[in-house]
Amino acid sequence: MVHRRLTFFAVLVVALLLQLTVSPEIGIGSVKPDILLVATICWALFEGPGQGALFGFCAGLLEGIFSTAVLGVSAFAKIIVGYFSGELRQRVISKSVIWPMIIVFFGSILQELIRFATWALVGLEQRPPFNFGIIAGLALYNALVTLVIYPVIRHFTGQEDRALMFP
Amino acid sequence: MVERQNRRQRILIVTLVIICVLLVTVYSRESKDGLFHRLQRFSLDVVSPLQKGMSKVLSPVKDGIGYLADLGSANSERDRLKEDVEELQQEVDEGEELKLENEALKSMIAVKESRTDLGFLVVDVIGANPDIWEQTVQIGAGYSDGLQEYMAVLSEDGSLVGRIILCTSEASVVQLITDDKSSVGAMLQANAEMGVVKGEGRGDVRLELLNQDADVKTGDVVVTSGLGGTCPSGIPIGTITEISERRADLSVGIVIDPRASLTRLDRVMVVVSPPPSTSPMAAEGGG
Repeated sequence: MVHRRLTFFAVLVVALLLQLTVSPEIGIGSVKPDILLVATICWALFEGPGQGALFGFCAGLLEGIFSTAVLGVSAFAKIIVGYFSGELRQRVISKSVIWPMIIVFFGSILQELIRFATWALVGLEQRPPFNFGIIAGLALYNALVTLVIYPVIRHFTGQEDRALMFP
Repeated sequence: MVERQNRRQRILIVTLVIICVLLVTVYSRESKDGLFHRLQRFSLDVVSPLQKGMSKVLSPVKDGIGYLADLGSANSERDRLKEDVEELQQEVDEGEELKLENEALKSMIAVKESRTDLGFLVVDVIGANPDIWEQTVQIGAGYSDGLQEYMAVLSEDGSLVGRIILCTSEASVVQLITDDKSSVGAMLQANAEMGVVKGEGRGDVRLELLNQDADVKTGDVVVTSGLGGTCPSGIPIGTITEISERRADLSVGIVIDPRASLTRLDRVMVVVSPPPSTSPMAAEGGG
C-alpha cells in the first residue's frame, strides 16, 4: 500500500515536471503534448477507474495551479477521462500495444471537449475559439508520447501481469 | 465486497467532482488578488528557474523539432524560398552561435539607437505555456527587475511580440499578438489609417480598420498607433498578406503576417519606459 502511494506521487510529480519543462520545448506549432493526461490514462489502465479518477484530479489540479487557466476545469476533465479509461481496462483484452495509444487518442479529444463544455457552462467570456484541428493534433501527439510513457509507468507500478493486456 | 468497493468508488468520484465545481466557482468569482490567483503567481515563481534550465538543455531538441515542423510547409514555400536560397545559404554558412548572438545584439542596439525615446530591458525567454489554447511565453524577469503588467515586448529586430499580462518577482508571462485575447491599437504606415490588430489563436493576426473605405493593399506595413497607452507608437507589427471580400457586417478581412518570429523567440526586449499608462481592453487570462 505504501509502495503504491509512493509510486502514485512519484509518477504524478515527474509527469508534472515534464509537463512544465519538457512539453513546451517539444511542441510542434501550438500543439504541445499533455503528459499529465497521458500519465492519467496509463495510471487508470493499470489501477482501475477509482485510481484513474483520483490521479486525474491531482494531475488536473496541479496543472491548473501551475498555469494561468481557470482552476478546476482541467481537474474535472481529467477525472472523467481517468475514470472511463480505468473502466476500459476491464473490458479490453488485447495484446496489441496499439490499444493504450487509441485510448489516449480518444481520451485527449474527450478531455478537450469537456474543457470547452465547462468553459461554456461557467460562462467564461474569453475562451479560445474551438478548433478541432488543434485537438486532433494534440490527440495524435499524446498517442505518440504514450509509446514512451506507458512502459515506464508499467515498470514503476510493477504490474507486469495486468500489463499483459497491452504488452 | 465488489459492490462495497464500487460504492466507495462512486462516492470518491462524486466528491472529487464537487471539489472541482467549488474550485471553478470560487476561482471565477475571486479578484486577481484572490487566494487561488496568488497561488498561481507563486507557483510560476517556483517553477521558472526549472523552466529556465530545461529550456537551455532542450534547445537542440527544440531546434530539431522546429526543423521537422518546417518541412511540412516546405513544398508550398519552395518557389519563394528558391529566390532566397543564395542569401540564406550565406547566412547558414555564417550560422555559428556566437555570430548569430552578436548579430542579435547588434540588432537590438540598432533598435535602441533608433528609438531613443524608449527604454528597453533585454530578457531571455524561459518557456512557453503548456496549454495549447494560450499563445503565451514566459520570460526570465519580473517586477524585481522593473517590469510590470501591460508593458510592450519586442523581438530582437524591434517588432512587436506582445505584452506582459502577468508579472511575478522573477518571471513574467507575455501574451503574444497571435493569442485570440490579444488586441493592439494599430495603423497603416503608409497613410496612418487607424485600426485594431487582433490575434486569431492559430498563429494568424487580423487587422480591423476603423475606416472601412480606407485605401489598403497587400504589402502595406502595419505599426502600433500608441493609442490605449500600453504599446508605444511606431513599432512594426507585420505586413498585410491578404485582403478578403467585404463580409456581411461590411468589414474587410485583413490578414497580417507578423514580422517577429513568434515561434522562435530566444530573447526579447521589454519596453520599460515610458511605463504603460492604462490597461488594455482585453488582457485577461483565459481558461
